[in-house]
Amino acid sequence: MRLMDLARVARSKNAGPLNLTFDIMFETEADYRRGLAAEGLKAEHVAGIYGVSPNAVRVIPYPAALAIKITLPRQQAAGGPGDRDVYGAQQHAPLLGIEL
Amino acid sequence: MNAAFKLRQRFHARGDRALKLVGATGQLGYGVPEPAFTTAVERSPDMIGADMGSTDIGPTFLGSGTMATSPEQTKRDLARLLAGARKLDVPLVIGSAGSAGAAPHLDATLAMIREIAGEAGHRFRMAVIRSDIPADAVADAIAAGRVQGMGVLPELTADAARAAAHLVGQAGTEAFVRALETDPDVIVAGRACDTAIYASIPEWLGFEPAAATHMAKIVECASLCCLPGGRDPIMATLDGDGFVLESMNPERRATPMSVAAHSLYEQGDPHQIVEPAGACMVDTARYTAVDDRRMRVEGARWVPAERPTIKLEGAEYLGERAVLLAGSADPRFIGRVGAILEEVSGVVRNLVCGPGEAPDYELFFRTYGLDAVFPWPDPPETPPREIFILGECIAPSQARALAVVKSTKQYLLHHGFPGRLSTSGNIAFPFTPPELSAGPAYRFNVYHLMTVDDPAPFFPVSVEDVGG
Repeated sequence: MRLMDLARVARSKNAGPLNLTFDIMFETEADYRRGLAAEGLKAEHVAGIYGVSPNAVRVIPYPAALAIKITLPRQQAAGGPGDRDVYGAQQHAPLLGIEL
Repeated sequence: MNAAFKLRQRFHARGDRALKLVGATGQLGYGVPEPAFTTAVERSPDMIGADMGSTDIGPTFLGSGTMATSPEQTKRDLARLLAGARKLDVPLVIGSAGSAGAAPHLDATLAMIREIAGEAGHRFRMAVIRSDIPADAVADAIAAGRVQGMGVLPELTADAARAAAHLVGQAGTEAFVRALETDPDVIVAGRACDTAIYASIPEWLGFEPAAATHMAKIVECASLCCLPGGRDPIMATLDGDGFVLESMNPERRATPMSVAAHSLYEQGDPHQIVEPAGACMVDTARYTAVDDRRMRVEGARWVPAERPTIKLEGAEYLGERAVLLAGSADPRFIGRVGAILEEVSGVVRNLVCGPGEAPDYELFFRTYGLDAVFPWPDPPETPPREIFILGECIAPSQARALAVVKSTKQYLLHHGFPGRLSTSGNIAFPFTPPELSAGPAYRFNVYHLMTVDDPAPFFPVSVEDVGG
């Protein structure tokens, strides 16, 4: 099943102008566990999508909200010349098709 | 005695030692929702707070010294908050004045407040916290090895610090506590930690920083922590080791899940809130429902920092920006738009620069429908029926930037390419002129952490009697 069909929330935003942060929230404990186990949400795979080093990607389980947080560095500081998404609010899109 | 000292006196005479704080808005200047704000005032809170700024809005406002919000709406919001706080005679605390909190933002905000006081007949004492950091002080700190990077920006140099059009630091709770000691009715700070707006009065009154900081991090976003999330004011009732949250809009419910989830919002790490004086660890927090729309939170821990730090923010001027707006519905054009834009860029370079002259501008294109928002590695399976092209030029002057996008527009319109059918024009303009000046362009060139012995000298407090 694709992430967009299983997650309750899938979003991205700047965490300060130098980092992007992604929140994937699930409806049930079982769905959350399925997300945690998915290869597509591991640091190596996410790093490939966003063109950053796997060491720079933090995948943080947050059971209190049945959520997985992923934080990684932006390609450039927000709002610089040629930036595509100053708030970082639409960078989640490539995660939506990940198979969980 | 003014609002701050009256609050202290009242609080210490109280049996329950509970403090009611209202987060009026997470971004002053876009409107403070009613009737939720009136409800909040009717509940007699001990303070009203509002955040006015952020780096979310990008570097331009910090760099240019302008507000992201409209002056008209900003003044209306300030007037509403001032009226509420003065009616109750409780402190009004405003952080990150004027969107970015540098001197011009703060001064514009103070001017509005004085104007409102004159019009409404308010008289009050205002404590002002300035957040401008001298580049020389940063240069000294760099030389002493006390400035560190936090991501993609290069290591900070003294030259880079001096190149910033405005350079600010985020004031922490410490600065607000000094301001409270002047017995103000209103505190207005330049750039400040959003948490300091709400954590400072509790800490001044003797609360532990853990619960106060956790509470502050939630209420600074108003009712965003609720279900459904929204911008209505929220009230937190802080007692010994925890706090109760309640939205001032009865339709918004704070639930254990919604409040726990809020720790994720715009935070790199949901388990900790890092502040100048230490870190609030929320991984041990417990979220319990009081009823179907009120939540109690407790259990956060505070780990003091070894040395205080100041988060520095600076924006450097790049030039003037002009944009070009154009669309296309032609499949042949859409099919090779990437190559066409490259070709046109080359043609334009030859037109606007002399022979052998290097371009003094940068020209970017974003092709909506294909890869403007995200740099997809592969083209879409089915080509889009239409695309939108946004051209952006940054050049040394407004006239130069416009000259570049005007030539770009004309040569993109008539560019010839193999298979072209629409020989009278490749692109559609939504209106004319499709080339627009977008004002000065900046980039964040400082977003670094500076370790200090004492943050106080960097955030001076002054006092002013307003009105009357």
